[in-house]
Amino acid sequence: MNRRKFIKQSLLATAGATAFPYILPSGRLFAASGARKADHVVFCLFAGGVRNFESVHKMDGNIMPHILTGSEAISPDIAGGIDYLPPLSGSPLQTIGTLFKEFRYNQGPTGHFNGHTTAMTGVYTTTDLNIKAPPVNPTVFEYYRKHTSPATSALNAWWVSNALGPYPALNYSTDSNYGALYGANYVQPGSFISQSAYNVLANPKNFNSQQLTSSSKIKNMLDKNFGSQYKPGDAGVENTSTDAATLNTFISNCYTTAMSGGYDDPWGVGAANMNNDMRNVFFAENIITTFKPELLVVNMQDVDICHSDFTSYCNNLKKASYALAHLWQTIQNTPGMANNTVLIATPEHGRNETANTLMDQYGRYALDHTGEDVNGRILSREIFCLILGPYGVVKQNTLHSTPMGESIDIVPTIADVLGFYTDIPMSYRNKMGSILTQAFV
Amino acid sequence: MNMLALTNSVKYKAVLLLILSVGIATGCKKEPPASYIYDVNNVTVSQDGVSKPNVKSTVEFISIAYSDLFGNTIDQATLTDLGTAYLAFGDKKLVEDLIIRNFLNTQGAEIPTVAEMNANVPLFIINTYKKFYNREPNEFELWQFTNLITTDTSVTPELVYYAFMTSNEYRYY
Repeated sequence: MNRRKFIKQSLLATAGATAFPYILPSGRLFAASGARKADHVVFCLFAGGVRNFESVHKMDGNIMPHILTGSEAISPDIAGGIDYLPPLSGSPLQTIGTLFKEFRYNQGPTGHFNGHTTAMTGVYTTTDLNIKAPPVNPTVFEYYRKHTSPATSALNAWWVSNALGPYPALNYSTDSNYGALYGANYVQPGSFISQSAYNVLANPKNFNSQQLTSSSKIKNMLDKNFGSQYKPGDAGVENTSTDAATLNTFISNCYTTAMSGGYDDPWGVGAANMNNDMRNVFFAENIITTFKPELLVVNMQDVDICHSDFTSYCNNLKKASYALAHLWQTIQNTPGMANNTVLIATPEHGRNETANTLMDQYGRYALDHTGEDVNGRILSREIFCLILGPYGVVKQNTLHSTPMGESIDIVPTIADVLGFYTDIPMSYRNKMGSILTQAFV
Repeated sequence: MNMLALTNSVKYKAVLLLILSVGIATGCKKEPPASYIYDVNNVTVSQDGVSKPNVKSTVEFISIAYSDLFGNTIDQATLTDLGTAYLAFGDKKLVEDLIIRNFLNTQGAEIPTVAEMNANVPLFIINTYKKFYNREPNEFELWQFTNLITTDTSVTPELVYYAFMTSNEYRYY
C-alpha cells in the first residue's frame, strides 16, 4: 500500500465512522424499512400430503370442523374410523381469516421435502435438492434474522419439525450471504423430549457460577488459540451464552414435565388420541408461551398414512384441524402474541386422484402423491391456504374459490407481515413468488 | 513592418512554443512516485500439527468424547440415543455441552484429582492436550496453562476437561 492510498483509506475510514456510527449488528445501516402488519408470524405446514377433495371440497364431509364452516356429515362408511375429539371453544378458523381454496404447488416433485423446502424458501425445487444438505436458497428464517433490525436473537426464530430425516436441515441454507449465522433454533421434540433422550441427557453436571467463570476463562484461551481455524456456522445455529442458559433451563423443565406425565394428555383429548402431529404442535405451543418468538414454523405430517390407510388419513386430518385450532387458541391466550400474530397454514402438496391398490378396513383405497396427471389436472398440486390474523390486519371470513396464490408466495408474505420484504435484495426477491395481498386489509 | 511579416513572426513564435511544450512534456517526464509501505501485510499464522480442517461427525464426536473420558468404547444403544438427540436440536454446541456435562456426571469418568494435577502441572497439561487434541501444547500454551492453574485455585481437572471437550478445537480433526 503506498502512502497516498494509506492516507486516503484512513481518511475514508474516519469519515465513515463519523458519518455512519450506527451500523447495526446485522450489518445494515438502518432498521427494516417496511411497516409491520404484526409482530409475530406462525407458519404451520399442514403437511403430509392433503388432497383438496377431503379437505376444502369436503367430498367425505367436513373432516376439518375446527377449520372449516359447515356441518356436512362424514361419509358413513368411514365415520367409524374417525376418533371423537372434545369440542374447542370459538368459531371455525375460516371465519377469522382468509381461505384460499385453490392454492397451488405449481412446480417441482410432489415430495414432502420438496414441498417443505419450497414453502420455507419461497423458491421451487425444480432442479436440485440434496436431502443431505441444507437448501441452496435462503430460508425465511435467514431473511428474517438478517434483515430485521435491531438484530434478533435465535430465540425469536424456531423450526419445530415432527420428523428427523432431512428436515433438520431446513433451519438455514448454504447461501454464502446468509447461512447458519442467521438460522433458526431447530427442534424435533419427538426425539429430543423423549424417554431415550432423557436417559442420556437429563442428568448433566451443573457447575456453580465461580466454576463456570473458570471454565469460560480456559475455554476462551483454547478458542483464541484455535481462532484462525474455526469457521462460524460449523456448529449450526448458535445461541449467545445467555440464550443458551435460558434454553438449558427450558430443556430441563421439559424433561421434568415429560417424565412426570405432564405431556401424556396435555390437551385433555385422551392420551390415546394424541398423535405425533398434536404432540409436535403442543411443543410449539410451549415455545410460544415461553419465548414468544417472532417467527415460528411448525409442521404436521401424520396424514401421510394415506399411502396405506385412507380412513386413518381422514382421522389424522381431523386431528390436524384440531391441533391448528388449539395452536391459534394458545396464541390468543399468550400475552404479547394475542391480536398481534398472523398464522398461515398450508399443506406442502396434495395427493393423486387415482388410488393405489391398498384397501383399509373400511373398504377405502389408499392414495399416493406422485404428481399423477389425469387429463391435464394434477391433484397433488392442488392445495389450500389459510391466513388468520387480527381484525383490521387480515380480511376476516373471506373465501377465494378460484385459483389464487401458490407455495412460493408464503415467504414473501411472511416477510411483508414482519416488515422486511423490501430489505431482501432484489436478486433474491426475484426468485420468490408474490405477497398474498388478497388476505390483508 | 508590413502585415505579412507580422503574420509570419506570430506563426514562428507559435511553432516554437509548440516545440518547447512537446519537449517539456516528453523530455522532462517526472519520476513516478516512490512506493512506501506503511502497514503490515496479512500473515496467516499456523502451528505445526494443528491443522484440523474437518468437523467431526455426530457419531465421531460422541464416540470419541466417550472414549476420551471413560477409556473404553461407548455401547451401541447409548450411541444411538445420543446420536438421535444430537440430530434433534439445531444448536450443536448446546447439545455437545449437554452431552459432555452428562458424561462428566456419569460414574466411571476418568478424571485426575486436584492433587494429581498440582503434583506436576506441566505434565497434566501435556497429557490433557494429548488426550483431547491429539497433540502436545506449544511453549506458549504450556506457559499459559501453567500460569492459569497455579494462580487460580478454583481450576480443577474436571473444569479443564470440560473446557477442552466443549472447545472449538475439539470439534475438529
